[in-house]
Amino acid sequence: MRPGHPLQLALGLIVWSLWLVAVYAGLSLGCLSVRPDAGLGVGSWLNELLGLLTLLTAAWLFGCAWRLWRTPPPVLAARRFVVRVGAWVHLLAAVATLFVGLPIMALPPCL
Amino acid sequence: MNDTRNPERLHQDFEAVWGNPRGWRALSAVNHSSIGLRFMVTGTLFFLIGGLLAMLLRVQLARPDLPLIDPRTYSQLFTMHGSVMMFLFAVPMVEGLAVYLIPKMLGARDLVFPRLSAFGYWCYLFGGVILVSSLALGLAPAGGWFMYVPLSGDAHSPGVNPDFWLLGITFVEISSVAGGIELVVSILRSRAPGMSLDRMPLFAWYILVTGLMIVFGFPPLILGSILLELERAAGFAFFDVARGGDPLLWQHLFWLFGHPEVYIIFLPAAGIVSTLLPVFARRPAVGYRWLVLAVIGTGFLSFGLWVHHMFTVGIPLLGQAFFSAASMLVAVPTGIQVFAWLATLWTGRPLFNVPMLWLAGFLVIFVAGGLTGVMLALVPFDWQVHDTHFVVAHMHYVLVGGMLFPLVAGLYYWLPHFSGRLPSAQLGRWGFWLTFVGFNATFLVMHWTGLLGMPRRVYTYQAGLGWDLPNLVSSVGSFVMAMGVVMVLLDIGLHFRFGRRAGDNPWRADSLEWATALPPASYNFVSLPACTGRHPLWENPALGRGIAEGRHGLSIVDHGRRETWGSDPLTGQVREIIHLPGNSWLPLYAALVLTLVCLSLLNGAYALAGVAALATLGILLRWSWVNGAHPLAAPDERTQPGDPPLHSRTFDGPGLWGMGTALLANGVLFFSLIFAWFYLWTVAPKWRPPAQSPLPELPLLLDGLLLTAIVLGFHRLVRRLRRGEQRRLEAGLWTLAGLGLLQAAWLARILVAMPLAPAASAHDALIATTLGYLLLHCALAPLFSALQAWRVCLGLVGERAPYEPAVVLQWWDYCLLVFWVSYFALVLFPRGIGA
Repeated sequence: MRPGHPLQLALGLIVWSLWLVAVYAGLSLGCLSVRPDAGLGVGSWLNELLGLLTLLTAAWLFGCAWRLWRTPPPVLAARRFVVRVGAWVHLLAAVATLFVGLPIMALPPCL
Repeated sequence: MNDTRNPERLHQDFEAVWGNPRGWRALSAVNHSSIGLRFMVTGTLFFLIGGLLAMLLRVQLARPDLPLIDPRTYSQLFTMHGSVMMFLFAVPMVEGLAVYLIPKMLGARDLVFPRLSAFGYWCYLFGGVILVSSLALGLAPAGGWFMYVPLSGDAHSPGVNPDFWLLGITFVEISSVAGGIELVVSILRSRAPGMSLDRMPLFAWYILVTGLMIVFGFPPLILGSILLELERAAGFAFFDVARGGDPLLWQHLFWLFGHPEVYIIFLPAAGIVSTLLPVFARRPAVGYRWLVLAVIGTGFLSFGLWVHHMFTVGIPLLGQAFFSAASMLVAVPTGIQVFAWLATLWTGRPLFNVPMLWLAGFLVIFVAGGLTGVMLALVPFDWQVHDTHFVVAHMHYVLVGGMLFPLVAGLYYWLPHFSGRLPSAQLGRWGFWLTFVGFNATFLVMHWTGLLGMPRRVYTYQAGLGWDLPNLVSSVGSFVMAMGVVMVLLDIGLHFRFGRRAGDNPWRADSLEWATALPPASYNFVSLPACTGRHPLWENPALGRGIAEGRHGLSIVDHGRRETWGSDPLTGQVREIIHLPGNSWLPLYAALVLTLVCLSLLNGAYALAGVAALATLGILLRWSWVNGAHPLAAPDERTQPGDPPLHSRTFDGPGLWGMGTALLANGVLFFSLIFAWFYLWTVAPKWRPPAQSPLPELPLLLDGLLLTAIVLGFHRLVRRLRRGEQRRLEAGLWTLAGLGLLQAAWLARILVAMPLAPAASAHDALIATTLGYLLLHCALAPLFSALQAWRVCLGLVGERAPYEPAVVLQWWDYCLLVFWVSYFALVLFPRGIGA
């Protein structure tokens, strides 16, 4: 998507929403289908999988934010506005992904 | 542009085209100012009813063991108090204010779908009356405003009481979604020339995000209500564990709506704050971009919190931690807004008049409510105070502080718009202080009542538990608050007669709604101004005069059309002239017949409900017929030299955006249904898929392929129309309509022939509901296409008016999408996992 496209104002947080649905559904499905050994604690395959998804999503969102920051300011003021706010939206989404995903490192999955 | 004509004559000419009819014919008015005011007046009446119920609750709890209200009635009272305040007051009130203000702020003459606004109002009124009438009939629901199952199921609530709620609220939600669609499309597509996104008033940003939240947030509850009503009325199994359902499904569907709902109420109120504070601080808002970022962030993050209402139902700790973190995170964008408001005040030269008092009260109360919200986001604390009066106190701090206080500030601020007069500062201050003191006496104390362990929803309590004094204080406080509300209403009522004349732009505000006459004319602006900055009236204080003298755009009305600019969503540059429909009885008729559907369902008269539903469809089709090049709409396509074409003569009018936004809402409902399927499949303890799927895979696959071919054919027709080729358009449309009818009939046959037992198993109930949903959509698609063919035949659609087939195409695309998603979920997924 072009940096000045108005959907940049929502894209980052759309990805965050999809990530949240994926980790919550993944946690529920993982616990129901192949329940990890309780003794593994946060070292279970489910924590690792959800953690990896979280890191990849956050990395992608940070990358998008960085790309928007590095975009030369468009001539049209409205597009400049979209690029700047879009960068912050992606950054907010990346931070939100890491913050909401933080408990994956602290809690076992299926208790 | 015209600067030679007599302004008085211009006004008369515009009034002849835009004016409301008088007498009983005024019920056919569709003007956004009238509709917005109706929403607000009706919302105020429901607020008084809800407030009265609250007073009764507080009287009962004032002393221990009071025998005034029995437990059953008490349950009805708190259920109705919550339902009335949330569904009949808060949302319609803020939507009404937005409906009234948005076109004026955007420099437009009306919203882009005026009949939809009117329809929304009538649905709201009739749905609200149905719900409230249950109180008068002694049949009010008693299961809480969230209607949890199994308490609200047929076994535990056998009467029609919950049905009043389910049908009445669904009716009201149609209104809310209609309003959401209307506002979103209007903000994106009908702004003043040059009003790019970065120049848009902050209030419009808040309403844009709120409108989208309504579009995404309300459908899960609409679906939940449909499923619960199907379970209660037709015996379908969705929430009954024994038959493969799960009551937690209801909680998910409810709170998927319920938590965003809090922000749907809060954001418009915060929009009022962001509009008023800069005016009274006499400087632009600090951090325009940050505020926009915060609004967008709040809108999204608020959808990720719903499970924090379910911390005690047995969700894995890690899952709870996700939602606990998200619940804390949402405080960040809210905090950004609070700091931006404080910075605006700090760096400005604030004037402390009555609206500012209410804003100051908002800041204090809402921040306190936000802090207890962060406390409740902590899972262990939530477990401790769950279902106690602490939660009641928190909720009222957020909702009353976050919505009522800014709303009253806004009403005081915009009163000159409604009356041309200013209210009394003396009465206004009394009203504020009584409300502020009374509110805190009621609810601050209630935090302690909750921490002392008093549960919610109990009709009385024993003496000696330490709850006597705080309850008495809360009850006295509630009466003080009620006196404050009465004082405000008295002030507003009296000002219509005794208030001094406001004059032009009495607050020296910056936004375009103050460039109208006070009160405004039915068309808002004789001529439509261009926008050169974020603060048009600060940049050009004489703008209103120039507008009234017809010195700006679209000041010709002798063609008899209601017109406003259609603009580019990003840049605000003019793209076309949107011609709007005039006054019409159709919205009222449609809502009346829909009321008949509700009442028939309530009384179990299903045949009559079916007939009324068909009549509703007929009225809505008639509504769609009077559009575009129709003789009653815009048969004459000529515009002034240099002006763009009418939207119906292009490929991109507001209807295209309206259909797209409506299908977004529809899609959320559908995906909530698919969520229910997967949820029950994985979670419901007694979900039992049959050994052999009842779905005939091959016939269903062939039906889907036929649908795919039809949609591809429709795409081809529209592509050709875009190239200006009208040849064989009519024949093509008739052919596709015929094939579509065949496809829908085939689907109906599959549905009827399947050995489903929806009353015996949730599995079959969900298959039947999903296929029924598909059938409804697939049956409407050929009907719409046939109407298009007929319009081509009559010359209402064609290369000169090519717009409508593109709108119908979206419906076909949607049918195709939901068909194949359903096929995947119902056929491929079970087979894939070996079920």
